[in-house]
Amino acid sequence: MAAPPPDARSLESELVSLRPVGSDAIVLRLRLPGSVPLLRAGRFFMLRRPDRLSPPIPRPFSLYRQEGSELEFLIKVIGPGTRALAATPPGQPLTVIGPLGRGWPTLDDASPWVAVAGGIGSAPFYEGIRQSLAGMDGAAPVSPRSWTLIYGGREEGMLYDLECFEELGVRVLPATDDGSRGFHGNAIDCLRAEWGAGRLPLRPRLLGCGPEPMMIALAALARDQDLECHLSLETYMGCGVGICNGCAVPTTPEGPLGAWPVAKCCTDGPVFPADAIRLEP
Amino acid sequence: MVDLSVSLAGLPLANPILSASGTFGHGLEMEGFVPPQALGAWVSKTVTLKPRPGNPMPRIAETRAGFLNSIGLENRGVDAYIEETLPRLAERGARVITNVGGEEVDDFARVTERLTERPEIDAFEVNLSCPNVSGGRLPFSTDPEVAERVLRAVKGVTDKPVLAKLSPNVTRIGEIAQGAEAGGADGLTAVNTVLGLGVDWRTRRPLLNTVVGGYSGSAIHPIALRCAWECLQATGLPVVGCGGIGGPEEALAFLCLGCHAVQVGTASFSDPSLLAGLAARVGALLEELGVETLEEYRGSFQVPQPAPLAARS
Ligand SMILES: Cc1cc2nc3c(=O)[nH]c(=O)nc-3n(C[C@H](O)[C@H](O)[C@H](O)COP(=O)(O)OP(=O)(O)OC[C@H]3O[C@@H](n4cnc5c(N)ncnc54)[C@H](O)[C@@H]3O)c2cc1C
Ligand SMILES: Cc1cc2nc3c(=O)[nH]c(=O)nc-3n(C[C@H](O)[C@H](O)[C@H](O)COP(=O)(O)O)c2cc1C
Ligand code: FES
Repeated sequence: MAAPPPDARSLESELVSLRPVGSDAIVLRLRLPGSVPLLRAGRFFMLRRPDRLSPPIPRPFSLYRQEGSELEFLIKVIGPGTRALAATPPGQPLTVIGPLGRGWPTLDDASPWVAVAGGIGSAPFYEGIRQSLAGMDGAAPVSPRSWTLIYGGREEGMLYDLECFEELGVRVLPATDDGSRGFHGNAIDCLRAEWGAGRLPLRPRLLGCGPEPMMIALAALARDQDLECHLSLETYMGCGVGICNGCAVPTTPEGPLGAWPVAKCCTDGPVFPADAIRLEP
Repeated sequence: MVDLSVSLAGLPLANPILSASGTFGHGLEMEGFVPPQALGAWVSKTVTLKPRPGNPMPRIAETRAGFLNSIGLENRGVDAYIEETLPRLAERGARVITNVGGEEVDDFARVTERLTERPEIDAFEVNLSCPNVSGGRLPFSTDPEVAERVLRAVKGVTDKPVLAKLSPNVTRIGEIAQGAEAGGADGLTAVNTVLGLGVDWRTRRPLLNTVVGGYSGSAIHPIALRCAWECLQATGLPVVGCGGIGGPEEALAFLCLGCHAVQVGTASFSDPSLLAGLAARVGALLEELGVETLEEYRGSFQVPQPAPLAARS
């Protein structure tokens, strides 16, 4: 029975600020009422304006950064839902449903992590790396040297908030399709090149979030090399809380979710072990 | 405070607000958002005899005025419902209506038979919009005689109240309602989703994998009201109005027509805690009207009498 997380609520929050980043994104900062415990990185919220300017169905966004009861979301503006959010004046209320989903596994220091972000897929990694460096779930703080973030985008303007990631002190490898910044090529090409050149740990654990072709390639690479890999999916969602059955992700029969042919991205994910799900149709 | 209690087909409900099948979980998964007692009754997602994995993605799409879905009745079957869902419903103080489906007339009776003794279940709702495998996959809801057979089969195995949930995708819904009444239905739910289709003009692909799916949400409210109205006129059965309710006003529209209760589906996707406060908001609006009991308001719809036009000289 896929129930929403017990701490999830439907709340009215206040928009604190909007900051444009890169060529087509914003960092939206809002304040939740009351005090908010530390939220696990990789979890997400459904957001919408309570007025008629947002589409009726709220949109899912990963928690980008938390400072107490103020939460930030890194949002690529692409359609009516994100446009309505981007046009909200500070001080206005926003409807927030969450925190939702399960988030990243414990990002401990048992072996090094290589995170692969494609464009806006970087959003869940900021808080993930930050929490890992601070020590997650009682695990020891992870050294920044155990982290590599490969951050790919079409062009430099799509490496959103790159400096903030660099300020975390971990190794950040930018990659752009047009070569405008860092490696010339996509994030997966960059991963292969770095690995081939011996500049990555031999047996890293992989994390991925980004466009579907990138996720498919990363999962294939993890399978071929027999590496642990967790993917944060951005499946189209109708509710975020497990009641619409619209966010089905096919499962692998032999995997940990194999008892049923599909998992729910919203309540079983959005982070899945790569070998638990089937990405290709 | 306005007395919102209502008796639906012999079932006393604290208020007329119900969840709609397939939009609020199987049991009380949503109790973190809506306290069990806040709803007149919790309606389960359709339970079928065998597990059903559902349709391939994409299964849902939002359109400008509504919501398209083709979930394909994904559910783990009646055995899992008995083992996993029902035990969690015990002693929660919630009224439960279990929605049942099937591919053959007999399936409906077999699912109901498995469940009828369960004390957690107060009533059944029969999802007649399921495709009838022996009837060219036309839904059971499209033929009054087939609807009658399904209801007779279900009523043959349970003494609990049974609601027949009708589809709006017919020419004369009143005739289907009469078929369900003849089969022994204790009440009607009007309606399920309206058939629809969405096109992504850019990719030239349908929005749903199944091409055609069920349309719900605000846009279907007037259609649902019209269907409920025809059901009320065609039979003497209590009717549960369903379709496009987003707030207390749309709920009151159904109640004004004479519906005993209402169900809310798609609007819970916009706000999963909407149902927690909806009954109170219905009560507040009735209070504004100076109404003391829901029963006094229910069915107070005033139909204009056609007055003859004044003759012109
Ligand atoms: C768990 C989760 C976390 C997410 N985190 C973020 C985040 O941190 N930052 C961010 O910018 N976005 C994130 N997304 C994606 C974001 O939800 C969508 O971009 C947003 O819903 C688009 O809404 P819209 O109304 O602006 O555009 P729409 O009109 O809904 O979409 C515009 C176009 O994008 C396509 N599309 C819409 N949603 C998705 C999707 N989820 N996956 C693939 N294609 C889609 C549509 O088919 C359409 O072609 C996340 C999604 C999920 C499921
Ligand atoms: C995603 C989704 C799933 C549904 N699943 C079922 C179902 O399993 N059984 C059923 O009888 N009706 C199902 N329905 C129909 C609803 O119960 C309801 O009749 C319809 O959506 C109209 O109400 P609304 O406009 O308030 O959503 C579903 C509707 C949606 C949107
Ligand atoms: S988004 Fe509705 S069930 Fe997952």
